[in-house]
Amino acid sequence: MTSLHVLQTMSKIELSATTSTPAVTADAQTGNLEMRGDSYPENSFEFFAPIVEWVQDHLKTPNASLDVALHLLYLNTSSVRAMMDIFELLEDAHKSSHAVAVQWFYDEDNDRIAELAKEFKEDCTFPFDILPTPA
Amino acid sequence: MRDTLPNLDLEIDEILADPQYEGHPLRAALEQLYQRQQDQIGQLERLTSISDGYQSVLNKRYQTLTERYQKQLRQLQKIVKISDHYQQMLQDLNETLRIASTQDPLTGLFNRRLMLDRLENEAALTNRRNNVFSVLMIDVDHFKNVNDTWGHNAGDKALILIASTLKIALRSSDVCARWGGEEFLILLPDTGETGGLEIANRLLTAIRGLRIPEMPACQNLTVSIGLAQYRRGDKLDETLKDSDRALYAAKARGRDCIVKALELSSIEPTVKAM
Repeated sequence: MTSLHVLQTMSKIELSATTSTPAVTADAQTGNLEMRGDSYPENSFEFFAPIVEWVQDHLKTPNASLDVALHLLYLNTSSVRAMMDIFELLEDAHKSSHAVAVQWFYDEDNDRIAELAKEFKEDCTFPFDILPTPA
Repeated sequence: MRDTLPNLDLEIDEILADPQYEGHPLRAALEQLYQRQQDQIGQLERLTSISDGYQSVLNKRYQTLTERYQKQLRQLQKIVKISDHYQQMLQDLNETLRIASTQDPLTGLFNRRLMLDRLENEAALTNRRNNVFSVLMIDVDHFKNVNDTWGHNAGDKALILIASTLKIALRSSDVCARWGGEEFLILLPDTGETGGLEIANRLLTAIRGLRIPEMPACQNLTVSIGLAQYRRGDKLDETLKDSDRALYAAKARGRDCIVKALELSSIEPTVKAM
């Protein structure tokens, strides 16, 4: 029971948003990753490394699925890079038959976010939806 | 040369196998020479195949590296492109915020905050140059009535119309702001009382002719104006208060008119003396 509990907490990420980092929740059991907010951390590597690692570890599990829900607004260059790293992991997983999908939500009033999401989507062959949310 | 080799090999094999040459000194020499040549060919072939192997390993590695390089280059280009777009988005957002923080959304005039900045700048400039500037405090007459009788929509339209009329009637160096609800403040740089009065009269006339569809034709929009000056060493607050008092005096005198702060201050001491 305890060991299971530890295992569960280890495969979970829960970060609240700060002014420069998004809120992040990741749950290996349900296969969900959600990021919400702005991202321009002072040390992008430090911030994203555990998230990228979590994705990597999660997708090593046979038949693991992953649904990524993004409500991201502003991303600085290193955050853009980190997101592309994550999408690449998803692409590899998709090619080895994992069920992975991205849903990128944007405020109806801010369709520039949708355009940016489209640029991320380029080259991705897994399901990648860009969805408006009512303002 | 290669083609002749198998024949030569066969010939030598035959010679060496022939019993009639047994014990002949040339046969022994030939046998040794032939053996040595066979060894050398073998060595050469091994060397070639090792060398080819190396080359193909290097070639493969080169291809992998090129592929990886191309992939990273594409990725980099994509990052740069996306990042540039984010920056552009931020830039536009900044511009929107700048406008929002300096403009009144209804009339498009500057807001009170920007006007205060401008007034302070102008005061500093006026102090340095030993100059003068005027301010006009303008208030729409019976605006509450307009709102109450003809609706807030009519009120908003009246404000928008008055704002654009003020803007058109002013010089390019003048600054016009929405100071409060139905109050406008105008800064007239390098302008004394005479010049200020002239412009105030022009504005008064221009606004008197305005109509909005919501209001009956007999109902005119009018404004009252208080005129005050800032001179070297004055306190900006005092100038604004002067213009405010002049405005209230204009309201008291029946509206749709201009009162100069200077005429008030010349009355005040007499009042006090009494």
